[in-house]
Amino acid sequence: MQKKNTDPVARDANQILIEQLKENMAHISAIIEEQGRALFSDRNILSEDDIHEYSFEFLELFILWLQSDQTFGGRQGAESHALQDFFAGFARQIQVRGGELDVFVRYVQALQRVLIEELQESEAYSFEQSREVLLLLARLFNQLVLDVFRAYLHEKEQTIRLQQEELRQTSTPITEIWDGVLTLPIIGSLDSSRTMMVMEKLLTRIEEERARVVVMDVTGVLAIDSQVSHYLIQMVRAVGLMGAEAILTGIRPEIARALTSLNIDLGTVTTRGTLSDGLKEAFRRLGIEVRQQVH
Amino acid sequence: MHLTPLGGDLVLLEPGEGLDPGDPDAYLTPLIAFLQRVGARRLIYDLASVPVLDPLYYGWLVQVSSACAVTGVEMVVANVHAPAAYGLAQYLEGDPPFACARDVDRAREGVVYRNNPAKGSTR
Repeated sequence: MQKKNTDPVARDANQILIEQLKENMAHISAIIEEQGRALFSDRNILSEDDIHEYSFEFLELFILWLQSDQTFGGRQGAESHALQDFFAGFARQIQVRGGELDVFVRYVQALQRVLIEELQESEAYSFEQSREVLLLLARLFNQLVLDVFRAYLHEKEQTIRLQQEELRQTSTPITEIWDGVLTLPIIGSLDSSRTMMVMEKLLTRIEEERARVVVMDVTGVLAIDSQVSHYLIQMVRAVGLMGAEAILTGIRPEIARALTSLNIDLGTVTTRGTLSDGLKEAFRRLGIEVRQQVH
Repeated sequence: MHLTPLGGDLVLLEPGEGLDPGDPDAYLTPLIAFLQRVGARRLIYDLASVPVLDPLYYGWLVQVSSACAVTGVEMVVANVHAPAAYGLAQYLEGDPPFACARDVDRAREGVVYRNNPAKGSTR
């Protein structure tokens, strides 16, 4: 259901714009195209044909919207959606072709300017009427730009979320470095969701590979607090429940100091200075001896 | 609850579906009596058929382990599923009092993990 405009002044504003556009269609269209060329052609964002088509489509949809007599708040009508979709698609097209969103905003401002300038040139309307038209245009274009920005931000946030997820997946590569020995280098910070993901992956691998020792290397962990150490102890405990042994390696001096300050007891956890020492310890526990061959 | 002597001083415990971990009194005395009768030194508790270890089940395991300990039997749990270990580690505040092995074969061989290294490892 479209909301119909019952405000006589606002309806006048719609009518004034329709009259303006019908009387000066060719002129307005030409100026809009010119503005589009100035913004898009030089940077090879849109071709001449594209600019022509977009300008034409905009005017067509804009007139339909004005004719539909919807108030600003009633933009849920089909004509409003069409206009909204047009701008959303247009903004996307600009970005796909390497343009920035500010170019799009400048184009919308130019459209608004062209329509206002046309109104200024006409002396047929009262101050009141001109003011209503200006308000109508300002509300409409501001809302359209806001909609596009909202969609743009939503898309950006989604991309960031996906990248974070991908990074999480790839930042904890669990490798079976020897029969029954898994290594897990932990890089970056550990929070509860990452710990859960790492633990789930690690325990599944222990089950699949029937691992006996897991070397967890925290060389890449830059900071540790009581929560992170709690997560590490939780992981070590879960590994133990699976019948495997966890060896924690790569605790940097500043982290060792932080653990001491936090009164965190890692006494029940086997620790070694480096990953290499951790591997040696793992081999020792499995009864494997690695020696250099003497010729 | 099925108890199977594995030879030597080993006994395998398979809980089966009928076991009620909320009623330890019904099982503990016959269990200890059996272990003493066969001269067991290690009880292998097979958790292959237990998909989730909730606090109630964990409490039961601790009671079995304690009862074994006072009669000179070491309890080793085997075949803890990954989701069960994951869930249990979330709420455990200390190390479990029993040893853990990946599977029954390893538990038999003595390849077990004890959470307190001070007690020594059989590896």
